[in-house]
Amino acid sequence: MSLHDLLATSFVQHAFYAVTAVAVAAGVVGYFVVLRRQAFAAHAIGHVGFAGAAGAVLIGASPIVGLLVFCLGAGVLIGVAGAALDDRDTVVGVTLTAALGLGVLFISLYSGYADAAYSILFGQILGVSSTDVLVVAALSLAVLVVVSLTFRPLLFVSVDAQSAASRGLSARTLSLLFMSLLAVTTVVAIQVVGVLLVFSLLVAPAAAAEVLTTSPIRATLLSVTLALFSGWTGLLLGVWIGGPVSFWITALASGSYLVARLLERSRPLRVRPVGA
Amino acid sequence: MNVVESRGAGVSLGGRTIWRDANFALEAGTITAVLGPNGSGKSTLLNVILGLVPASGGSLEVFGASPRRGNRRVGFLAQTRAADSVGSLSGRDYVGLGFDGTRFGWGRDRAKLDAVRQAIALTGTTSYADRPIHSLSGGQRQRIALAHATVFSPELLLLDEPLAALDLAAQAEVVDLVHLIRDRTGATIVVVAHDLNPLATIVDQVLWIARRQVRSGSVDEVVNDEVLSDLYGHPIEVIVTPRGRRVIVGLEEEFAHPHPHGHDHSHEDPHEHLAEVYEEETS
Repeated sequence: MSLHDLLATSFVQHAFYAVTAVAVAAGVVGYFVVLRRQAFAAHAIGHVGFAGAAGAVLIGASPIVGLLVFCLGAGVLIGVAGAALDDRDTVVGVTLTAALGLGVLFISLYSGYADAAYSILFGQILGVSSTDVLVVAALSLAVLVVVSLTFRPLLFVSVDAQSAASRGLSARTLSLLFMSLLAVTTVVAIQVVGVLLVFSLLVAPAAAAEVLTTSPIRATLLSVTLALFSGWTGLLLGVWIGGPVSFWITALASGSYLVARLLERSRPLRVRPVGA
Repeated sequence: MNVVESRGAGVSLGGRTIWRDANFALEAGTITAVLGPNGSGKSTLLNVILGLVPASGGSLEVFGASPRRGNRRVGFLAQTRAADSVGSLSGRDYVGLGFDGTRFGWGRDRAKLDAVRQAIALTGTTSYADRPIHSLSGGQRQRIALAHATVFSPELLLLDEPLAALDLAAQAEVVDLVHLIRDRTGATIVVVAHDLNPLATIVDQVLWIARRQVRSGSVDEVVNDEVLSDLYGHPIEVIVTPRGRRVIVGLEEEFAHPHPHGHDHSHEDPHEHLAEVYEEETS
């Protein structure tokens, strides 16, 4: 079967649409994850999703429903507790561990143990159905609409919470909103790269973009571009050369970040002051 | 009408009185320095004016009405600016957030470009406004932060410790800039500070907060032996140097800790602790 034939198959086309939707949403939300220094929260929500997906598989429901329930729950929990407490990372870490433990229990109770665990942890992009694609596309679109409507206040609170509060913005409400957006984005990203590699689409492209440009709009667009590049090229390489698609996507996204940091070093203006 | 008027207002946090019976008025277009020991409630006063903390007892009015959150006539420069750590934004983008950062929805305000350009010109930051904030010096960041706080033309500007952590040359530049902003925009300005001397030349009025009391008046009316001794309950001497600077003898303990929110808890002052806890909750 030639590459051309492979690309024409329905499972590759489904994968292409899913990757596209996911990359756009993850690129946009990822910019705020990086700006707010909430990479750890993004990581944790993915792991909580593991428990949700495993639980759903166990009771015979669709994994995406379990993912949504658990990720949104974790997002709200982290959003509420994290805004009130100084040791945000501790709250996130305990939530993460508790959920992983639950996930291990659920998956051990399920007979198809290894297969189910593998696809949740590392993604199974070539297995997405047309229904999955529709769900992923709808969720991504919803995330995009909400982010575009709240872009300025979200940016303001993320950059300078005290000034934003003095102007009447509620850091708590916006934090909760953002964690919900992050949860939904994590759910769709898990469809492509799995729980363990969520970072590759959610953090790496945005981190590279933030290093390369100062403008929030340009950084968001660049983040989306890099996520799309990693997603599309990764899918192509997985189909063409072989190997897991999530491996290729992760390698490309991490590579973009590495290149961005190298470019940054060669530009004198971007030197960070010591301790900043 | 006074811009801010307090008639017997006080503040309580968690059941404890921070200060009470404050009687003062801020007249339009004046610059007021707010002085006093760490944790005496200087920042809390700004939070009351911003409507983030309710006054208890008496009345405190801002532009003739109760303080309310998000009042577009009031601008605020926080003591620690998060923009210092999330400095990948350019100064210009950060200033722009001061103009329309609270706006939800699509579309943009055409007046934004002009307002941002004017704020940047006023604060003398044009030559580095497009550089990322993390590449700027402390003094440059403070000027950008002032542009951010004034870009929407507030009539009342609250500055919380704008001189903290700056060297003397940068302090003098910021003081000159505050003076310039008042002259150009006619804004009423409140400056929380640790030391009166850098500000003495531009200040019209002083509010001194200590031991739950607030005293107000001109520099000479407040910063003298009688008023400060009465305020603190022990003898205090104010010595005026030939160049007009004031040395305060008897308060060395309180000014021995230049970093009010560091983690030095060696001295036991319950009010300071309370104020710190409180500020963490509202930050």
